[in-house]
Amino acid sequence: MTRNQFWTLTRRLVSYAVLSAVTFVVCFPLVWALSTSLKPKSEIFAMPPTLIPKTATTENYKALITGRPQYFQSGGQQVTSGTTPAQFFTRWFFNSVIVTLGSTLITITVSTLAAYSLTRFRYWGRTVVPYFSLLGYMVPSIIFVFPLFLVMVQLNLTDSLLSLVLGYVCITLPFCMWLMWAFMRSIPIEIEEAALIDGASRLQVFRQVVLPTALPGIIAAAIFSMIVSWNDYLFGRVFLNSLDNLTLTVGVMLFFEGTHVDWGLLMAASVLMTVPMAILFMALQRHLVAGFGAGAVKG
Amino acid sequence: MDVKLERINKSFGQVQVLKDIDLVFPSRKFITLLGPSGCGKTTLLRMIAGLEPVTAGTIRFGDRVVNELAPRDRNIAMVFQSYALYPQMTVRRNLGYGLRVRKTPKAEMDAAVGRVAAILEISHLLDRKPAHLSGGQRQRVALGRAMVRQPDIFLMDEPLSNLDAKLRVTMRAELRRFHLDLGATTIYVTHDQLEAMTMSDMIAVMHGGIVQQFGTPAEVYGMPANLFVAGFIGSPPMNLIPGKFRGGEKATFVSPDFSLDLPDASRQVVDGQEVVLGARPQDIALVPGDTASATGRGQVWVVELIGSEKLVEVTLGDRRRITAQVRAETAVNVDDAVGIQLDPRRVHLFDAATGLALRR
Repeated sequence: MTRNQFWTLTRRLVSYAVLSAVTFVVCFPLVWALSTSLKPKSEIFAMPPTLIPKTATTENYKALITGRPQYFQSGGQQVTSGTTPAQFFTRWFFNSVIVTLGSTLITITVSTLAAYSLTRFRYWGRTVVPYFSLLGYMVPSIIFVFPLFLVMVQLNLTDSLLSLVLGYVCITLPFCMWLMWAFMRSIPIEIEEAALIDGASRLQVFRQVVLPTALPGIIAAAIFSMIVSWNDYLFGRVFLNSLDNLTLTVGVMLFFEGTHVDWGLLMAASVLMTVPMAILFMALQRHLVAGFGAGAVKG
Repeated sequence: MDVKLERINKSFGQVQVLKDIDLVFPSRKFITLLGPSGCGKTTLLRMIAGLEPVTAGTIRFGDRVVNELAPRDRNIAMVFQSYALYPQMTVRRNLGYGLRVRKTPKAEMDAAVGRVAAILEISHLLDRKPAHLSGGQRQRVALGRAMVRQPDIFLMDEPLSNLDAKLRVTMRAELRRFHLDLGATTIYVTHDQLEAMTMSDMIAVMHGGIVQQFGTPAEVYGMPANLFVAGFIGSPPMNLIPGKFRGGEKATFVSPDFSLDLPDASRQVVDGQEVVLGARPQDIALVPGDTASATGRGQVWVVELIGSEKLVEVTLGDRRRITAQVRAETAVNVDDAVGIQLDPRRVHLFDAATGLALRR
């Protein structure tokens, strides 16, 4: 082995070791949550702890999905009636989906059109708007929550999903618009002109040429918006209060209430919360890299 | 279809980029707008395309005023410098786009795309996307997209400038051939005088938003209308030597370095007028330094061999340098004392004040 090969090998080993350690740290909570969610009650606190459940059970998932009351009091007695968080799980999941899709749809529509206008039309202020839109990100969102809440009170929208949709649009729109602006700027105007000469109308140019070309940017912006809306706790906590209207992040916190925490149920809920975003991410990550890349280089 | 430009003006804010352009491009001809960057040639082309509004003046296609017509209603096709292919569409869809948005029946569209692809030899690329094509292939697709609709007028904005030198020569000939086959009026923008000279029927030389000269390649080369055209057309550029005109019995050009009898000088010049003498490097002969009949004398500064010819730069008495192009066999070395000989019938004379040619 030459000196060179030795160093190459060493470098590779070291980087693999570091990457493995990081991967472990990142993945362990997820794996542990999955493992716990599949364990029967008796095994959750077993010593020594097991990573792979000895007797796997899907009881927790069934309870969440069917909404069957399955709530243990501190004595270990099963309660089969009354209000329990598990009953509301599907409702909250549905609420989260509605809020996430709603806010993303609005954000994407508005930011795409705004970015197109900012890059293609000439009017006063079009050069400064994208930069100012980023200013909001230098302030923690807790600053916005209460003013926005007061606005919602004025609009009579408190404790509604619509208030949350509008709240999320407020925080995702500026960044998505900046992202789309950077992306639109990188689309050469010539391809639009070529389409105009080829015989397309303005609207056809936008639909058939601009939108498909901007698709990676749109996907990147949509993923960003979905992650923010899906994972938010703060806005949901402040804006909502009736059990029926909660989103997943706020609702799952209720699993901690009372004297007893049903860890199996809580972990199953956490896993189910993670799954949609994980699937979305894996399916679209290729576009995400392209989208953020284009924004970063050209912006 | 002929294209008439009548007193065309264009301003961007306070900046006037085109001034009173008056041109008639005859039908079915290959016309080149030639000039350095910033001369307004691309702006003029974009106005003909309808991509840029006209500040003042009239553009006619045939007898029809097209000033207010949208690009799609002008029956034109344009090839862009950047090719401007639709990145998410395959070559087939790129070629067919213009027919598709005009709701051409599918069978007819496929036939047109197939025909154009065959002419341009890109049939094997039809299912690829632009990102997977080489520069030359993209160029062909861009050209094909323009040809497929059989437009009245082709507009081309420096279509060859992104190609490598060798491919540019090939495509130059092909473009010329396509033009002859298609028989549509072609308006071609370039800053490359070689492209303009080799391909065009007519050249409009532009500078500073003004048409400096409009004529055949032979005319702009052989009879440049002013100092700008004289210096811009021809490679290496024409030698321009300032001096005075002496009239009287024997008309003579006089400069500190040499004098040249001009037996058939223009009647426009008067005795004592400040003039500029133009002589193409190809029209300057080198003779031994002691030749009595030499027009002027100097010292060889540098010699460049360019294949069958040599470029010889000669320093004249007042340190002015002129370039002569001679056969490669000519024995001439750096620092040789040489004489230069000019043929009075092959030199050009310009008014130093206005820059205009003083024709015979």
